[in-house]
Amino acid sequence: MKAYRNYVATWIMLLLACLASLLFGAGTLELGQAFAVLTGQGTENAQFIVMELRLPRLVIGVATGLALGIAGALLQTLTRNPLAEPGLLGVSAGSAFAVSLAILFGASTATLTTLISQAGALAGCSLVIAATRIQGVGQDPVRLVLAGATLTGLLLSLSSLLMLIDQRAADEIRFWITGSIAGKSWDQLTATMPSLLLAGAIVVGVARPLASLALGERVAMGLGHKPGRIRLMVILAVALLVGGATALAGPLVFVGLVVPFVARSLAGADIRKTLWLCLPIGPAIIIAADTLSRLLVAPSEMPLGVITAVIGAPVLMGIIRTRRIPAL
Amino acid sequence: MNTSLASKVPAQEAHPHLTRGHWLWRSTSWRWSLLIEKRSVQVNTALTLILLACALSSLAFGTLSIAIPDVILALQGKGTAMHTFVIEELRGPRLLAGALAGASFALAGCLMQTLARNRLATPGIIGIDNAATAFAVASVVGVGISAAPHTMALVGAAVATALAFGLAGATGTRGYRFIIAGLAIGAVSGAITQVMLSSVALDDANAAYPWTVGSLNARAPAAVNALIIGLIVGYTLSLFLNRALATLQLPEPVTASLGTRSGRVRVAGLILSVLLTGLAVSVAGPVGLIALLGPELARTISRPGSIPLTASALSGAILMVLSDLAGRLVFSPLEIPVGIVTALAGSPYLLWILLHKSPDINR
Repeated sequence: MKAYRNYVATWIMLLLACLASLLFGAGTLELGQAFAVLTGQGTENAQFIVMELRLPRLVIGVATGLALGIAGALLQTLTRNPLAEPGLLGVSAGSAFAVSLAILFGASTATLTTLISQAGALAGCSLVIAATRIQGVGQDPVRLVLAGATLTGLLLSLSSLLMLIDQRAADEIRFWITGSIAGKSWDQLTATMPSLLLAGAIVVGVARPLASLALGERVAMGLGHKPGRIRLMVILAVALLVGGATALAGPLVFVGLVVPFVARSLAGADIRKTLWLCLPIGPAIIIAADTLSRLLVAPSEMPLGVITAVIGAPVLMGIIRTRRIPAL
Repeated sequence: MNTSLASKVPAQEAHPHLTRGHWLWRSTSWRWSLLIEKRSVQVNTALTLILLACALSSLAFGTLSIAIPDVILALQGKGTAMHTFVIEELRGPRLLAGALAGASFALAGCLMQTLARNRLATPGIIGIDNAATAFAVASVVGVGISAAPHTMALVGAAVATALAFGLAGATGTRGYRFIIAGLAIGAVSGAITQVMLSSVALDDANAAYPWTVGSLNARAPAAVNALIIGLIVGYTLSLFLNRALATLQLPEPVTASLGTRSGRVRVAGLILSVLLTGLAVSVAGPVGLIALLGPELARTISRPGSIPLTASALSGAILMVLSDLAGRLVFSPLEIPVGIVTALAGSPYLLWILLHKSPDINR
């Protein structure tokens, strides 16, 4: 009964966030007008605002939130580390570096960027999982996070090196690297969609085995699962999700930390319940943050990455303060 | 008054177990003695010589290469006008700023690592660099604050440290909460710097950009002067702290029974560390890895268990001057900011420490 209430509450929150995202921002819009547009009527002005400005942004926000939230939950369960977050561990930085390289070499088509971004995320994610296999690091959440931060720093300075070489690319990269879902078109979403759907299929397949892997490698093997294969599938899913989200919105830190944290504190340790709750919570947080980013310094905009960092940093502190993290 | 001072007493006679590896100077008439560690004298002399060699090469090489004898002539004021201009106006101030900033970073790092007994606890990792940069950029970009960038950098460093302590629950500097709190503060400050850069005009952003990743290009004379004073004061004070810091490495009850007020020493060391970092950031931007690498290098070559403050400062200066030189030469005429050079060279090493070594500085 309680679980049921959680689902309803989170979905209602998502709906409210979506409504706010449609209504607020540059260009005023009444509630009635927005609904009129969605049902196919409405003035030309309202049509433009909703269909060209707000709706793509909303849908991209939903996709990004879904991808990052689920990727965070998967990575945390796999590494058994409540701090394992794609942004903190350098997965996002891997894909950001790959995209910076692509921008430097003049890439512009949305498909190319998505694929490159996902390849970068795959490399970053493989590095992280390899690092957790080193004796002593896997059991130590903080050390892994620091290693991730270092990897992020290394990749960021490589990106900076690229920015020095080409001033035009520098401007494009600098805007993109703070993270934003403003001014994105439907094309970018359709280019990313297939890979996100593929990742979703993998997640559906891997959720049950992953839940048993969380009980320990031997238990998983006893239940007939192959830990190596589960790990591989999870890495692939995380790379697809994070790479896709980064291609859409730039590297957003802390989203993959906050979403599973909230979901876990509502649902408990079971990865399957957590994943179900991540579905509404991820998009709700991204969309609420994006709406805030429009309102805080109106008429200009705050990059989304800043808002998520400001929301996420206290949550990180909260996790550190409440959980007993073993000494490094 | 008897003026025959300091007769040398053979070390083995006095306290063989205490004075091994030391020179003991003792006054026969006054109650005064001096124990000098041989190893640290050797190490510091060697590091000074290396620093001099690096400084000479830094003056000599660049887009215009000057032969070493000509550099020395120019330093004596007898060189050609061209050489004198390049060395006195371009490379000299840059070298000075780099060496001073490197020394400050490394000294600050050594202090903080010693306080926390953890080689990962450097100002860069716990977000002080990023916060100082954010505040300094705020004053450059002009968010209605007219204070000078180096004052703002100091304020930023202090704010970050206070925040890290507040968020970590103020339970000493040893906890890992402190590092994670710093990580979070660093992330937020970095984001804020990015916002300020993306909100100003493109040219301003491109101009301010190298400095936000660490560069010796944008040094302001006022900031360098502040750094000189700060480094002299900070270095002197840290030498006074050295003995107390050494006792902090012992278990807490032993420290207390030796008469060290550990709370006061910690606060003093932390304030010095923050001050040095803030001033160095205002000159060179966030080149935080020097604070990790400098003391690390110094500890490798110093006597095990000692706190190599001087050697750290010298190593930091050497690393900074070398990184800057490399940044100028490798892709010449394109110049790579020193912060990127140190990040590229230092991050793999930091990763190696994280994945393979114990973070305790005494192991």
